[in-house]
Amino acid sequence: MLLGFQAQAHEMTPAYPKFKQSYIDGVSVTKMSLFNRRSEVSYYEIGVFTADWKEIPFASTQKVIKVRYTKRYPFEVYVRNGDLENVQYICTISKILKGAEQTSQIATRICSKVK
Amino acid sequence: MYFKIITGLAFALSASVAWAVNSPINGSVQANCSIYTTTPGQYGNPSPWKLSTASADGGVDTIIRVDIAAADYYKTKFTHPNSFSSSPTLNDAVAWTGSTVVSSHSVAGMSAYEAAKVVVNNTTTFNMTLAGSTWFKVASTASYGSADNTALPAGNYVAMAVAECIAK
Repeated sequence: MLLGFQAQAHEMTPAYPKFKQSYIDGVSVTKMSLFNRRSEVSYYEIGVFTADWKEIPFASTQKVIKVRYTKRYPFEVYVRNGDLENVQYICTISKILKGAEQTSQIATRICSKVK
Repeated sequence: MYFKIITGLAFALSASVAWAVNSPINGSVQANCSIYTTTPGQYGNPSPWKLSTASADGGVDTIIRVDIAAADYYKTKFTHPNSFSSSPTLNDAVAWTGSTVVSSHSVAGMSAYEAAKVVVNNTTTFNMTLAGSTWFKVASTASYGSADNTALPAGNYVAMAVAECIAK
């Protein structure tokens, strides 16, 4: 008997990103990559946090990104140099569309750590 | 004539060398964490005032697989629901219970995760010290009303479990 299996996964790399000076004065940048293997999810929200999970302002092309199923989405995160020493986590969290039929849903969040 | 034969032979040999060129497929493994939503949960409705993911109650527990590519880089957190993200209007309180347990694992040493887990309110944290796959089962129950005799209003109910992978 064969059993069908469909992988539904959320992945983000690197685990430990490093910031470097961007082309803008006073702003640093790091490169991240998200891979969406959740067929029921198309949107992910980017967040940047301190060690005690307070939000830090950042810039990216979009804060909520659309990533199609089985596609990899490289993105950059820009942070002011003044905030850099407080940056601890860069996270992406899946966004579930309202009106989905499943009665128990799963939000997934992956956080990389800036050391 | 010999010149033509030698030229042709040289061409054939060079062409055959070209056919033998290797085509390498490169890959690299980074320290990363993947969260697989293996089985989305489903609430059963065993009594008018109760929703439960337990199979005995007609529900389906949520199963989440976490793959860790390098040992001791991540911790995982699972939060079972304590509210509905979508429901009909409720006029009475809902009592929530739930749990997260290790249901299966690819490496024998991962059996220690269950004893070492830390539970705070509705969040359970596991320290992922080994590389490999671990399956977690998230259970959830919602009981409506201060006394067990108030029926849940008819309609669709949706609750959200959260699975997190955080670099250490």
